[in-house]
Amino acid sequence: MFFAVVASLTLYIMDDRLDYFGQVRSVLSSVVYPVQVTATLPADFATWLSTFFQDREQLQERITVLEASQQLMSVRLQRLQALERENLRLRELLGSSFRLQERIQVAELLAVDSDPFSQQVILDKGQRFGVYVGQPVLDAHGVMGQVSEVSLFSSRVVLLTDPNHSIPVQINRNGLRGVVFGRGPSEQLKMDYMPHNADVRVGDLVVTSGLGGVFPTGYPVGVVREVRFPAGKPFAEIAISPAANLGTSREVMLVLPGERIEFDLPEPLVELPEFLGIEEIEAGGAQ
Amino acid sequence: MATTAPGRNVSVIWFSLLLALILMIIPLPETLRFARPEWLGMFLIYWAMALPQRVSIGVAWFVGILMDALSGTTLGVHAFAYALVVFLVARFHLQLRQYPLWQQALTILSLVLIVQLILLLASSMTHQWKVWMPAVTSTVVWPLVYALLRKTRRAFQVS
Repeated sequence: MFFAVVASLTLYIMDDRLDYFGQVRSVLSSVVYPVQVTATLPADFATWLSTFFQDREQLQERITVLEASQQLMSVRLQRLQALERENLRLRELLGSSFRLQERIQVAELLAVDSDPFSQQVILDKGQRFGVYVGQPVLDAHGVMGQVSEVSLFSSRVVLLTDPNHSIPVQINRNGLRGVVFGRGPSEQLKMDYMPHNADVRVGDLVVTSGLGGVFPTGYPVGVVREVRFPAGKPFAEIAISPAANLGTSREVMLVLPGERIEFDLPEPLVELPEFLGIEEIEAGGAQ
Repeated sequence: MATTAPGRNVSVIWFSLLLALILMIIPLPETLRFARPEWLGMFLIYWAMALPQRVSIGVAWFVGILMDALSGTTLGVHAFAYALVVFLVARFHLQLRQYPLWQQALTILSLVLIVQLILLLASSMTHQWKVWMPAVTSTVVWPLVYALLRKTRRAFQVS
């Protein structure tokens, strides 16, 4: 027993305090990867079954809907590209640098539960796909979190709602900066340390500010749901509901670091985001 | 049974522990996530009670490290919790075997509470009542686990 106590304590302290101990973790995670894959089998089988028994009409209907939304998106994208180019030109005039569109890699969640005390999910891409610790993770609607641990075949993502997670943001309307903290499962996020006179209103969109260097600038984090100024407390209480579908998204996007633009770079501006490791999107799934 | 060498078949223990590890991470609906029974803890307790010479503190510690890697807790947390529980069980395994099933289940309740307490101390989550749910569900399913594992042990003549 004595040895077990000493060994546990040593490991605990080393894992907590030493940075390079992450490699040991990553090896261990690679070792337990088969267990995780086995655990996903029942869920995968259920998805497969539901896909298998989907009839033709349903599928065709789905395709029509998807095509329509695809068209809508591409029209919007054209406008966005024009705007982006204009924005860059203006910034160039102002003499400030700006990040080019980030490149994006698609990954899928492993259907595995983690420690219920923390808000984490596991992705099916690891070191072999160049995933690294601190990499931002998005879904179709906004920021989900960041990679906290990478093994050979999988990686672990801390969600925005994790009590240990915080993210630098700004209010989209007026550029007011702040930090948003997680508060645990199925709770709203909170924006802390904002003074009583801060100009924050219900309905404001909160986006990443890009300060801190982990998250890229301008991705939606959430929407302000409640602003209170409790008397006798130094800071306002601001509740934010996350923009991303933290509970339901299956396909997520890993952002690869974008190159910083030099000032005479007119050429690659209209490049579409490059999709590495695209997965075939399953025809099934929830309706 | 045609089992030739009585007194071995230790692989059955490892296989059951592997199964418990899988049960610990198999996805549950959001509402049930906090009520997941402490499968691994119960399996370890059973084996430590039935065959204390096979499942020792070392085994519990090793499996705990794997569980830490699986659940993303700081390394050593589950290892410590399981080692402690198995230590207690090994200490009192002779009494435990004599207990009627309901009394065993109550013992499980307190042992799983110990595990939960250690996990809670190591996490940064604020306290909520549902944190203690696994202890209750574990108590409820213990008779089932006990019966199944005893059947397995006898069928394979693990010793």
